[in-house]
Amino acid sequence: MQPPGADTWHLPDALQVEAILSALSAEFGHIAAPEYAATVMYADSFDWRLYQQGFLLHCHGQAWTLYHGDSSEVTVQQGGPELKRACFAQDFPPGPLREILQPILGIRCLLPMATVRLRGRQVRLLNRDEKTVARLVVETQQAMHSTSVFRLIRLFAVRGYDRELLHIRRILAENGVQQPASPMIGFTEGCRESGRRPLDYSSKFSLQLDPADTARQAMARIYQVLLDSIERNIPGVLEDWDSEFLHDLRVAIRRTRSGLSLVTKVLPDAMAQRFKSSFGLLGRVTGPTRDLDVYLLNRDAYLDRLPPALRPGLELYFADLARRRQIEQKRLVRALRSKKSKAVLSAWRRSLHRPDRHPAPHAAMPVRELAGRIIAKRFKRVLRDGSGLHAVTPDAEVHLLRIQCKKLRYAIEFFSSLYPKDEIHLVVRQLKRLQDILGSFNDLSVQQEMLRRTLAEQGCESRHNALWAAALGALMQSLYEEQEALRDHFTEAFEQFSDPATIALFHDLFRKKQEPS
Amino acid sequence: MSIIAVYNIKGGVGKTATSVNLAYLSSLQPSKTLLLDMDPQGSASYYFRIRSKEKFNTKKLLKGGKHIEENIRGTDYPGLDMLPADFSYRNIDIALDECKKSQKRLHKVLQPLLEEYDRIILDCPPNLTLLSENIFYAADCILAPVIPTTLSLLSLEQLFDFLEEVELGRDKVHIFFSMVEKRKKMHSELMQSMQGREGVLRSVIPYSADIERMGIYRQPVAAALPGSHAAAAYEDLWHEVQNRCRI
Repeated sequence: MQPPGADTWHLPDALQVEAILSALSAEFGHIAAPEYAATVMYADSFDWRLYQQGFLLHCHGQAWTLYHGDSSEVTVQQGGPELKRACFAQDFPPGPLREILQPILGIRCLLPMATVRLRGRQVRLLNRDEKTVARLVVETQQAMHSTSVFRLIRLFAVRGYDRELLHIRRILAENGVQQPASPMIGFTEGCRESGRRPLDYSSKFSLQLDPADTARQAMARIYQVLLDSIERNIPGVLEDWDSEFLHDLRVAIRRTRSGLSLVTKVLPDAMAQRFKSSFGLLGRVTGPTRDLDVYLLNRDAYLDRLPPALRPGLELYFADLARRRQIEQKRLVRALRSKKSKAVLSAWRRSLHRPDRHPAPHAAMPVRELAGRIIAKRFKRVLRDGSGLHAVTPDAEVHLLRIQCKKLRYAIEFFSSLYPKDEIHLVVRQLKRLQDILGSFNDLSVQQEMLRRTLAEQGCESRHNALWAAALGALMQSLYEEQEALRDHFTEAFEQFSDPATIALFHDLFRKKQEPS
Repeated sequence: MSIIAVYNIKGGVGKTATSVNLAYLSSLQPSKTLLLDMDPQGSASYYFRIRSKEKFNTKKLLKGGKHIEENIRGTDYPGLDMLPADFSYRNIDIALDECKKSQKRLHKVLQPLLEEYDRIILDCPPNLTLLSENIFYAADCILAPVIPTTLSLLSLEQLFDFLEEVELGRDKVHIFFSMVEKRKKMHSELMQSMQGREGVLRSVIPYSADIERMGIYRQPVAAALPGSHAAAAYEDLWHEVQNRCRI
C-alpha cells in the first residue's frame, strides 16, 4: 500500500499541463476543478511549536487551514482571527481548530512566518467507471518579495487504487516529470525571505562543543549562543507579542551571569567582572515585568482557588496588576532601547571574539577538564547544602539551595555535549525532580511575599479595598497551604537525588581521570 | 468514534440513499468516515462507482484486520472511504454461524477500524437474521427509515420484538420517515399518529426524483445537488441524528 499523501515533482517550464493530461488520456479520463489563487500567510509560534508537531498552519484572510506538512492532509479548516497582529489560540472561536492549537501553542502567540502566493488547479483522474482513482494538483508557489516561481505537480493517491497510481507515475515520468520537489518549497522560501528557517529557534540550550577546544574557545561559543538568544528575543519583548520572549530573554541573561560566576579564570578577570555587573543590571531591568507576567498568567488558576464570593476582589487586583504591567513594560522597552543596553551587548560580542591581551590562568585548559571540575564542584555544593534540608528549613535557605541546583543545572547544560547523552539525560532527570519541587516551593513563597507587600501598601478604608484585601487574604491562605504541603516532600526528593547510584554516576561522569586521547 | 447502522427489515425504503448521503455529510465535517456496504446487491458501492476486488469475500470480511484494510477504497470525496460489498455476502449468515461468539463477530471486526475512522456507517441488507443481530450488537445507533404505510409499521413491530428477543432493547433505534409523499393522505395520517413517540425523529426525507436519480449520476444527492430540497432534508436528518445519538 502507498503511504498517504502525495508525490511532488518540479514541473519543467517547457511542459504544459495540457500535454500531461493528453498523455494520461489514453488510460484515464479527467475532470478539472476551476483554478484557485490565493496569497496565504503561514503562521507558527516563534519557537515553531506547530512545525515540531508536523503541522503547517496558514491563513487567507480569516480562513485558516491546518494540515500535516508531510502528507498535506488537511486536519482542520475553520474561520479565525485575522493575522494582523500576534494572535493566540484563545483568539480562535471555540471549535476543533482551537482545540488542537491550544495545547500545542500554550501561552505562545502565532506570528506570520512566510507569505506565499499559491495558484493552481486540481484534476481528478478517472477510470472507466468514471471513478476518481487519483488526484493531480498543478500549483505555482511564489514567496512574497521573491523572484523565484516554483511550478509543482503533485499526485495524491486514492486508497485502494495503487495499481492506477503506479501507472500514472510512470506516465508522468515518461513525460519529463521526474525531479522530486518538496511540497513546502514555497513555505521554506517564504521563511527565508522573512529571515527565518524552520526550527531555527528553541528555548532549550543546545550547542555541540568540540572536545579539542580550549576552555576559552568553548566559553566564547557558549556565551555567543546565549547572546544570540538574548538578541533574538528582544524584538518580541519590545513588541510585547507574548510573555515567553521576556522569559527566554531572562533565562539567557541568567545563564550568561551564571556562566560568568561559575567559570572563573577563563575570561580575563576584569572582563568577567565588568560583564557580570552589566548583565546583572540588564537582568534587573527585566524583573518587574516578568513578576507581573507570572501573576497574570496564573489568573484563572488563582481565581479557581477562591470561593466565588471572594473572586470579584481578586479580579480588581488583577485589573490593577494589568495596569501596573503596562507601566513596567514601557519602562522595560525604554531600558532595552537605551544606548547603554545596546552598547553592553555589542561590547560583549566584541570581547568574546577578540584575543585576550592577558589570557586568564585557565584559558588554555582543555574544555573537558574545565567541565568536569565545574560540574563536580557544583554537585558537591548541592549535596552539602541539601543534606541539611528538612521539613522546617526556613524559606530563605530553601531558596539558596534552589539557586545552587540551578547553577548545577546550567553547568551541566553548558557542557552536556561532551558527555554520553543517555547518562546526561539521567542525571538531568534526577536533578530536575528536585528542582521542580524547590521551584514550586519558591514560587509560592515569592507570590505570598508579593501579596503581603501589596496588602501592606494598601489601606483598608474603602469598600473597594476591603473586597480586595479579603480576596488577597484568601489567596495567601491557599498558597500557604500548598507551600506547607510541599515541605513534606523535601526529604524524600533530596534522598532520591542523593542516592548512591546518582552519586556514583556523577563521579563516573565528571570525576573520572582524563584519559589521554 | 461511533458506528451507525442504517437498517430496516423491508427493502426499498431508502436505506442506501440514507447511508450514502449521511456518510458524505459526515466526511464534510470533517470526520474520517468509512461506509460499509453490507448488502450483497452492492447498491452503495454502485453509487460510488467502486467495485470490490476479486479476492474479497465474506470470509475476509469476517477475518477482519488487514483482510479488510486491504480492500477499503477511497471514494471521490476526501475523508470518505468505503468497503464495497461482495456478492458472497448473500451467504454471510452461514459463515457467521461457524464463528465463535457468532453474534459479536462484526463488533470484533469493526473495533480496530475505529482507530482510523471517526465514524463507521453500515448500509445493511433487508432481513432479520444472524447478521442483523451482529449489526445491532455492533452499532451505537440504529437508524431505521420507514415509509409511512401500515406494512412498514408492522415491520417495525417485528424489529422491536426481535430486539427484545435478543435482549438488546430498543434505545439504540431511531426511526425516521422516508420517501414521504405529502399529497398522500395516508402518509400524513400515519406520520401524525407516530409523531412525538419515543425514538421517532422529527426530520423527514421526502420522496424525490433527485434522490431516485442518484443511480444515474452516481453521487450522493448532497454532493451533486447541494442546494436541492433532498440535500437539505438529509442535512436536517444528519444534524438531528448527531444530536440525538450524541455522536
